Amino acid sequence: MAAAFLSTLCGTLLSVCITAMAAFAVTLIFKTSTTTNFAQGSIAALGCYVTAELFGAYGVPVFIGVIPGVIVGVLAGLFVDIVIFRNGRNVNAVGKQIITMGLVSIIFGAIPLIFGNPESIPFEPFFNPQKAGVSPNFIIPAFGGEIVVTKHSLICLAITVVVLGALFLLLKYSKWGLGVRATASNEFTAELMGINTHVITAVSWGIAGALGVLAAVMYAGGGTKISTSFMTTVQVNAFLAGILGGFSTFHGPVIGAVCIPVAASCVGFLANFPAFSGISRWNMVIVYVLMLIVILIRPQGLVGKPVAKKV
Amino acid sequence: MTTQKKNPVRDLMRNPLAQILLFTAVMALLQILSSAGLISSSFVYALGNTMIYAVIAIGFCLLLGYSGLASLGTAGFIGLGAYAAFYVIQEFGLPYTVAFLVTLAVSIVIGVVVGFISLRIEGIYLAILTLGLAEIIRNLLMVIKSTVKIDLSNVKLFGIQIGDREAYFLVLVTLAVLMWLLSNLINSPTGRAMLAMKNSTSAAQAMGISLMKYRLLAFVISTVFAAIGGLLYMMFVRNMTTATSTLLTLSTSLNILGAVIIGGAKSPWGTTFGVFIIYGIQSMFLSKIPFFVKNPAFITMVTGVLIILVVMFFPGGFAQIFAQFTGWVRAKLRKGAAA
Repeated sequence: MAAAFLSTLCGTLLSVCITAMAAFAVTLIFKTSTTTNFAQGSIAALGCYVTAELFGAYGVPVFIGVIPGVIVGVLAGLFVDIVIFRNGRNVNAVGKQIITMGLVSIIFGAIPLIFGNPESIPFEPFFNPQKAGVSPNFIIPAFGGEIVVTKHSLICLAITVVVLGALFLLLKYSKWGLGVRATASNEFTAELMGINTHVITAVSWGIAGALGVLAAVMYAGGGTKISTSFMTTVQVNAFLAGILGGFSTFHGPVIGAVCIPVAASCVGFLANFPAFSGISRWNMVIVYVLMLIVILIRPQGLVGKPVAKKV
Repeated sequence: MTTQKKNPVRDLMRNPLAQILLFTAVMALLQILSSAGLISSSFVYALGNTMIYAVIAIGFCLLLGYSGLASLGTAGFIGLGAYAAFYVIQEFGLPYTVAFLVTLAVSIVIGVVVGFISLRIEGIYLAILTLGLAEIIRNLLMVIKSTVKIDLSNVKLFGIQIGDREAYFLVLVTLAVLMWLLSNLINSPTGRAMLAMKNSTSAAQAMGISLMKYRLLAFVISTVFAAIGGLLYMMFVRNMTTATSTLLTLSTSLNILGAVIIGGAKSPWGTTFGVFIIYGIQSMFLSKIPFFVKNPAFITMVTGVLIILVVMFFPGGFAQIFAQFTGWVRAKLRKGAAA
């Protein structure tokens, strides 16, 4: 049983990585631009389409094709901040949300125009086990059973740890990180302190776009069918992870992003016991209800600090 | 302005009830013209669909524009209404009025729950939490029944057999009645209390306005409107595959939010126009132009660009554009009269 349970947990590794990346991106935007970026998922899908097109039409392997995809994600992010937000007339937080929503419509329209509307899009993981002629899984004998981990999810875990680790170090020690933290705490004061908040928000949007595309490529590499809206669930989970962990810190949403898929797989694992055999259908319902209860008890999030409001 | 001569026509047009009656008459006329074969029936079908979203959106207008509470749970509440309609009418064979009452009861309960949540959590946190609630409802409904379909062949309302045409009039009359109730509400002490609450919760409380009472009320009303929208959807469209339909996903909640913002959050008529821009213009006009028929993807792009431009340059939405335009015309007319 223990081995089966660990296998189940390892099975969520990929979705933990993807949700964590998306949640970090959402948090970065939330803190620097005070808006929830609904276009996060569709920008990610756009970049992923670029990678898939390079792979399908020109045979460029995904680990190289991901670079142009990420560049497209960065450009899309920069476009939102530099072209749209900066030229808007006193756009408030809700207005920004609506703009990102309009962007979703544009991207949803643009993808079929650029890439056509194929039934299925060929894709491969970063490391294609079929081409190399090896098994896609690592099997570790332990606890009198076998723990199965896919190689793809281990590669993705490594990428996520390196990328998010680097970003956290940058946030803590670099000048950009200091700028982000200052902008997050108060944009106006940060500007008075000589921080170029325009550059800070633009770079944040670029990074968010890149993280989104990276997550989308990892997700598609795991075998999920690519479509214009295939990142929507991830995006919704990333938002929920954000409030579960608390938007007041940067690591909170990442912790939330780990909790949601793990909780889902734990609930799903209960189905192995005869008493709970029908539970897997109610999987997400139970997880969301649990999350709702946690948030109601701790509105500031799992690791967040309560925000004092000035009258 | 006081020295100006009284203009009975203009005074009448400023009366909300007269506006609503005029709107109803025009919409009813379009249906009659379609029955006579002068307008294509797909146009009127699209119009009916748009009016259902208008019912949902004007409820949301009260929540966002007057109470300052953002919710992304609209889609879930629509689902509740739709499923209530399906179970009451199709499974139990009860009349429409019972379905209406059940929808009302369910949505009031959910509205109260969300209202209580809103007392603890605010702003974008509340929006995302209601999004989570909508996901719970969607998953729940999907597990309960994946496809709902209503057969209206023996459904009667006030002794009238409900068909396509009757369903259209049902939607229209519901929209008109709800619009009238809403316009009375926002010009009443309740509406002013909500507006005070939106501008500053602390100041409103200092004035003796109970946050709990008005937040609950705002959420209950918007939830009821959304659930009635779901009920009307089942009466008008009659089937829904929950797993593939986008009606119960985040995109509907966002589109309703978008309609309220680009229409002008404090104006029910502006909101109705916003719904028309987001939902109506695609199905009624653009889908008739050959260029867009060939490239349906362009339609979504046009809508997206329009939304972004309106929010970028007219934060007050179409209500502001309209006010500026009439102001400009009036100024021109006055200049013309002086010269």
